[in-house]
Amino acid sequence: MAGSALRRLIAEYKQLTNNPPDGILAGPISDENFFEWEALITGPNGTPFEFGVFATRLHFPSDYPLSPPKMKFVSEIFHPNVYPDGRVCISILHAPGDDPMGYETSAERWSPVQSIEKILLSVVSLLAEPNEASPANVDAAKMFRENREKFDETAKRCVRKTLGL
Amino acid sequence: MPQIISMKVEYLILLSFLLTFAVITNAFYVKKQFYPSVVYLTKSSTSLAVLYAQAFVFAILFGKFIQRIFLGPLRAIETEHLYDRAWFSITETCLAFTVFRDDFSPRFVALFAVLLFLKCFHWLLEDRVDYMEQSPVLGPIFHTRVIGLLSVLSILDYLFISSAYMHTIAKGASVQIVFGFEYAILLVSVITTAIKYILHSIEIRAGEQWENKGVFMLYSDLILGLFRLTLYMIFIMVMMKIHTFPLFAIRPMFIAMRAFRKSCNDVLESRRAIRNLNTMYPDLTAEELGNATDTTCIICREEMQVQQSIKRLTCQHIFHKNCLRSWFQRQQTCPICRTTVLRPVPTRAAAAAAAAPLVNAQPAAASQPQAQIPVSTARFPPSPSHLASNSATSSTSSSTPTNTSTQASPPNFNAMGAGVFPQMAFNSFPMVLPPFAFPPPPLPPANFAGMSEETIRAMEGTELSHVQARIQCLRNVRTLLDASMIQMQQYMNIVLTQSNMENGTGLLNNLKNDTDQVLTSSDENNSRNNVLNPINENDADVIRRRRLEHYRQRLSPSTTNQENNNDS
Repeated sequence: MAGSALRRLIAEYKQLTNNPPDGILAGPISDENFFEWEALITGPNGTPFEFGVFATRLHFPSDYPLSPPKMKFVSEIFHPNVYPDGRVCISILHAPGDDPMGYETSAERWSPVQSIEKILLSVVSLLAEPNEASPANVDAAKMFRENREKFDETAKRCVRKTLGL
Repeated sequence: MPQIISMKVEYLILLSFLLTFAVITNAFYVKKQFYPSVVYLTKSSTSLAVLYAQAFVFAILFGKFIQRIFLGPLRAIETEHLYDRAWFSITETCLAFTVFRDDFSPRFVALFAVLLFLKCFHWLLEDRVDYMEQSPVLGPIFHTRVIGLLSVLSILDYLFISSAYMHTIAKGASVQIVFGFEYAILLVSVITTAIKYILHSIEIRAGEQWENKGVFMLYSDLILGLFRLTLYMIFIMVMMKIHTFPLFAIRPMFIAMRAFRKSCNDVLESRRAIRNLNTMYPDLTAEELGNATDTTCIICREEMQVQQSIKRLTCQHIFHKNCLRSWFQRQQTCPICRTTVLRPVPTRAAAAAAAAPLVNAQPAAASQPQAQIPVSTARFPPSPSHLASNSATSSTSSSTPTNTSTQASPPNFNAMGAGVFPQMAFNSFPMVLPPFAFPPPPLPPANFAGMSEETIRAMEGTELSHVQARIQCLRNVRTLLDASMIQMQQYMNIVLTQSNMENGTGLLNNLKNDTDQVLTSSDENNSRNNVLNPINENDADVIRRRRLEHYRQRLSPSTTNQENNNDS
C-alpha cells in the first residue's frame, strides 16, 4: 500500500516539475524522504499578500492518496484561515468522514482525486479570498471583517517579513 | 535548539567522566591500595552515585555506538518516537520497581536497564523498516544493517527468554517471569518487523505494485496482534497469581488490544470491500479498457494495464481493483463523483437496463405534460395543422369562451422545458414558424350594403365576441412568441456550448427575423381589429357602451388592444 504512496508522490513530483503551475514551487525536502515536502507559494496579485513568497511544509501520511497530507506555513502569515502556528484550515485537507465543525459536506473534503497541485492552488485562492465562515485565526478574521485596511496592512507587513525586508 | 541540547549532553558526559576520575583518584589517594579503595568506593554513597551516573553514561555511549553500526544517523521522526516511547517505558519500569520492591537490587536495576536498552533498538528497527516504504533509494548498506540488527535482536531475545525460563524452572517463580514475558513480546515485535521487511523487500524487488502485499500485511498484523494480546493476557493472569496486579503492563496491553481491534476491523472491512467489488462489478475486459478515454487510475496516478484487475463502478469511473479496495476500507464512495457505491445496487447489466428507460423517459416526460394539460399542445404543437385548426376554431366559433389562454405562461413552460430540454428544443422548434399563417378573420362588407338594420345589429352583437376572440387569439400568439423566444435562447445555449458559433448566430438571426415578421403580422392583426372600431362607433348607443364597459371589467388585465377597442 505504502509503496504505491511513494510511487504516486514521485509521479506528482514529476508532474509538478514538468508543468509547474504559476507561482508555485514544490518538492520533497530531501531525496531520501518523499513524505516531507516543501512548497513555496507566491501571494496572488491584487491581494495584500501580493509579492509575498510563503514557505510551507507538507507532511504526507504513509497511506497518502487515501488520507490527506498535513500542511503548515513555515513563514509567518496573517490570514483568517491559517492558525497562528501555521496550520492551514482548508476543507480539501480534511479527511472524509470526520467533520470537526459540522458544516462541510463530504464533497468538499479529501479524496484521492485531489493532488498536491490542487491543494496548493486552493491555498493560493484561499489567500486571495479568505473564507470567513471557518476562521482559524480569530483575530485575523475579525480584523478582515471589521477593519479591512488594518488587515491589509498587517498582511503586507507579513509579506515584507517573508522577503526579509 | 537540538545543537544546544547535544552540546549540553556532551558537557554532561565530560562532567561525568571528570567526576568519576576525581572520585576514583580520591579513593586511591585516601586508601593507597586497590582493595580498600574499592571497598571505600562501594561504601560511600556519593561515589556510588557518581559511579551509577557514569554507568548510565557508558550505557548511552554504548547505545550510540551500536546505533552507529546498525542504524546510522537517526531521522528526526525516529528520535521523536524514541523519546516518546522511552518516556512511557521508564515510567512503567518505575511502576514495576514498586511491584518488585522486595527484589530491589543493583542487579535487578541493571536487568531492567538492559531490557529498556533492547526495547529502544526494537522501536528503532520498527521505524527503520517502516521507512522502507517512504524512501526511493535504499542501498545495500541499509539491507545489511536491517538484517544484522534483526538477527542480533532476535538472538538476544531468544537467549533472554530461555535464561528466564531456566531460572523459573530451577528456582520457582520470580521477577524472571516478567523478563521472560517482556522478551517474548519483544520477540513477537521482531517477527512482525521481519515479516514487514520481507514483504517490502519482495515489493522492491518486483519493482511494481504487488497486488497482494496489502492483504498479506493485514493478515500478518492480525495474527501477530493476536499473539501479542494473548501474551499480555497470560502475563497478567500469571502475575495476578504470583504477585499482585501488574499495573505497569496495563498501558501496553491496552495498546495491543486497540491495535488488534483495529487490525480485525481492517481485515473485515477489506474482505467486505473485496467481496462487494467482486460481486457487484465485473473486471474490465481489454476491449472495454481500450474504449475508455482516460486510462489513468486516479488513485495511484498510474496507467491501467490489462493484466491488472480493473473495476468500473456504476458511475462509469474506472480504477485499479486494489486501489479501490484500500479506498473502500475508508469510505464507500466513488473517489471522483462521491456517489455511494457499496450499497446492494443492481449489477451492471441491470444498471444498463435501468439506464435505457431513463433515456426513453425523457421523451415520455415531454409528452406527458402535453397529455395532461391541453394548453401545451396548443403552445408547442406536434404538427402545424393542429395549431392552425385550434386558432381557426378560436377565431371562428364566436360564442365559445377561450379559456385555454392564460394558464400556461412562459415561465411555466420554461420549467417544463428545462426538464425535457433537448427534445423540446430540437423537435418543436422548426414547427413554431408555419402555424402563424392565420386564416383571415371574416370581415363584413365594407359599406354594409344590402344589410338590414337587424342583421347589422345582430352582426354587431356577434362582432363584439368576435373581437374578444381575436384579442384572445392574439394574446395566445404573444405567449407563443415569448415561449419560442425562450426556446430560441435555449437553443442558442446549446449551439454555443457545442461551439458552433457561426452557425448558431446565423440561425438566431434568421429566427429573430422570423419572429419580427410574426410580430409585425400580429400588429397588422391589431390594426385590423381597429378597423372594426368605426363600425362600433357609428351605432354607438348607451346600452352598447355599458355592455362594453361590462366586458372591459371582465377582461380585467386590460391590454392595449382593448384600450383601442374602447376608445371613443
